[in-house]
Amino acid sequence: MGGLSDGVRAGEDSRTIHRMQPDEDIERLMARYQQGDFAAASALIDRVSPQLFRFFAAQTFSRPDADDLLQETWLRIHKVRHTWRPGEPALPWFYAIARHIRVDHYRKSLRTATGERKLEAMAASSPLAPQPADQADQIAALLAPLSAGEREVLEMLKIAGMSLEEVAGATSSSVGSVKQKVHRAYKKLRRTLSLAQKGGRL
Amino acid sequence: MKESDIDGILQSAPVPEGPRSETLQSIAAAIRGSLRPVRPLPAPWLLTAGLVFVSATIALAAAAHAGFDGIEKMAPWERALIFIPLGAFAVVAAKTFVRTMIPGSRRRLSAGALLALCTLSLLGAFALSFRDYQIDHFVSAGFACLVTGLLHAFPAGLLAWFLLRRGFAVNAIAAGLAAGTLAGLVGLGVLELHCVNFQAAHVLVWHTAVVPLSGALGATCAAVGQWIRRLATR
Repeated sequence: MGGLSDGVRAGEDSRTIHRMQPDEDIERLMARYQQGDFAAASALIDRVSPQLFRFFAAQTFSRPDADDLLQETWLRIHKVRHTWRPGEPALPWFYAIARHIRVDHYRKSLRTATGERKLEAMAASSPLAPQPADQADQIAALLAPLSAGEREVLEMLKIAGMSLEEVAGATSSSVGSVKQKVHRAYKKLRRTLSLAQKGGRL
Repeated sequence: MKESDIDGILQSAPVPEGPRSETLQSIAAAIRGSLRPVRPLPAPWLLTAGLVFVSATIALAAAAHAGFDGIEKMAPWERALIFIPLGAFAVVAAKTFVRTMIPGSRRRLSAGALLALCTLSLLGAFALSFRDYQIDHFVSAGFACLVTGLLHAFPAGLLAWFLLRRGFAVNAIAAGLAAGTLAGLVGLGVLELHCVNFQAAHVLVWHTAVVPLSGALGATCAAVGQWIRRLATR
């Protein structure tokens, strides 16, 4: 937690989190993207990619991995762009696809590295163990004690600024399940931060 | 420490640099060549209605071919006790399947929970309706019904998949399970419309088994499809 607290204090000169603007713009761009407007597609890529990149980087992967996953996600988004319906929130749709790509990548990399037996053992103990992409990523350090599911939900809710309903959509779960994960995540974070404070590190 | 303090830390923490501009440019360049207008998927309610229509058509057509002997033999209250939940579960299964095929859709019921709920509720309805506890030709008659149910579930599953072929399942196994459950309900519907064997054990075991077996087959097909796609992209 030392890295986190130092980073939080020294974070004033760093970039702070850029929450998404209300989704209207994204949805308008998405509708134009579906109509074949390249300018809208480019604007959408510029607008959504930082969020998706952070989603990959903060979860598990190294920066090059996050870059690859971002590209793979956009290719998939492009292929299935007709599955978004105008009038629906776009962010849960983007995150649902990004999540699918991330899980797929995780399975592939595990299979390559350790084989099927280790996949089961690791999934049972700590799925998607955190390996922050960058030491400067203080959020990754803060979220490190959380499980993959808790980290993912908190990222979407508190950092991407999505609503409970949108997070439920992105994670294909119910609002109740999202609330439960957030509750558990806060409990763990409170414990971790309190310990850090007692140790005089925050 | 309060939740607002944690929120404050989360929101004030620095973030890593975003993706490189070259990455964004290469993404834009990659999609440019194939960028053309696309037609969005129809509204979910329309897809659900389509699935329910196809399912009902298959069940009724099959029963019309084989005969409506089963439903004719039932008392009106038995018909209500069996076909109302069967129809309701078919609608819920169709809705669940549609949701699994549209990324970002909120899910009220997981595909696994849907299958469990359908199976248990139908077991309850059958237990209340059929009180003949004799057991004649349990395996031979039962196996014939199971095969008949699954044979009718198969085209229902295929047509359901065809109807939603433009969708994208972020969780293929859940989608397969939901499609299989819907198809299983069609198979069970055919059996309830046609089969005149009202022995409780026969209906509870062999008729009901069509739903979980069809669900499992749907999930297996989806898993195999996923595995083949992965092999192809290696």
